[in-house]
Amino acid sequence: MPDFLLAMALVLLLTMSAGLARVVIGPTPADRMMAAQLLGTSGIAVLLLLALSLDVPALLDVALIFALLAAVAVAAFTRRRAGRDQA
Amino acid sequence: MSQLTLLIVFDAVLLVTLLVLAFAAVLSPEPRRAVMLFIAFGLWLSLIWARLQAPDVALAEAAIGAGLGGALMLAAARRAARTASRSRGDDAS
Amino acid sequence: MSTEAILHALAAVCIVLGTTFFLAGTIGLLRLPDLFSRLHALTKADNLGLGLVMLGLILYDPNPFYAVKLLILWVLVMVSGATGAHLIAKRALRGDGEDAP
Repeated sequence: MPDFLLAMALVLLLTMSAGLARVVIGPTPADRMMAAQLLGTSGIAVLLLLALSLDVPALLDVALIFALLAAVAVAAFTRRRAGRDQA
Repeated sequence: MSQLTLLIVFDAVLLVTLLVLAFAAVLSPEPRRAVMLFIAFGLWLSLIWARLQAPDVALAEAAIGAGLGGALMLAAARRAARTASRSRGDDAS
Repeated sequence: MSTEAILHALAAVCIVLGTTFFLAGTIGLLRLPDLFSRLHALTKADNLGLGLVMLGLILYDPNPFYAVKLLILWVLVMVSGATGAHLIAKRALRGDGEDAP
């Protein structure tokens, strides 16, 4: 069963690598931010699977930090400039 | 597939993608795009630390390297773009 | 067939389903034509996919503290994902999403 979890983590990792293409080519910054968000969520899933298959329970805390990081990055990205776009 | 084979494939995917991300971030001409790629790079590096069974380093990398550093660099890139457009003579305000 | 074997089989089914949702979300992100449909595909995929993977992991290792921790993590991801999608969509609607500053 740990082998199965590791195989699923590998599939998720390949999915993340494919999603990275959107970060590189994405036409607008909003596309890149969305791709980074998907990257963070898939990263959480990979970390949860690795925590069980490698038997390192502390990786759950890293997954919590990933969730916080996504919120901070999106908030920093969508913050409005003081002068120009108040409305 | 045995566990060793799976782990080797896992590490190979992690390493190749990390290198691609690093080159894309360094060679990117536009600051905001470079910062996005840097955030993705930090996430990926944190996964590598997790794979190396170093959860504490992965925690620090995710929180400081990608999270706070990425947010600060996004603000700096935006400020740089505004200064550049103002010095070009556009009406920025 | 023992209870543990049944739980493990259920866990495997849930994890495979969750991975399928992640795969569908990534394909949608890569293939859909405009920003809002991509946002739609993304938010469906990551909440449900992560939820199914977590359900599978809870079934695989039925420990109450572990389950509560995963549940808190899932709620956090859903709240931050919904807020982030809303912010990105609002900013894109106001036409402030282009590369030129």
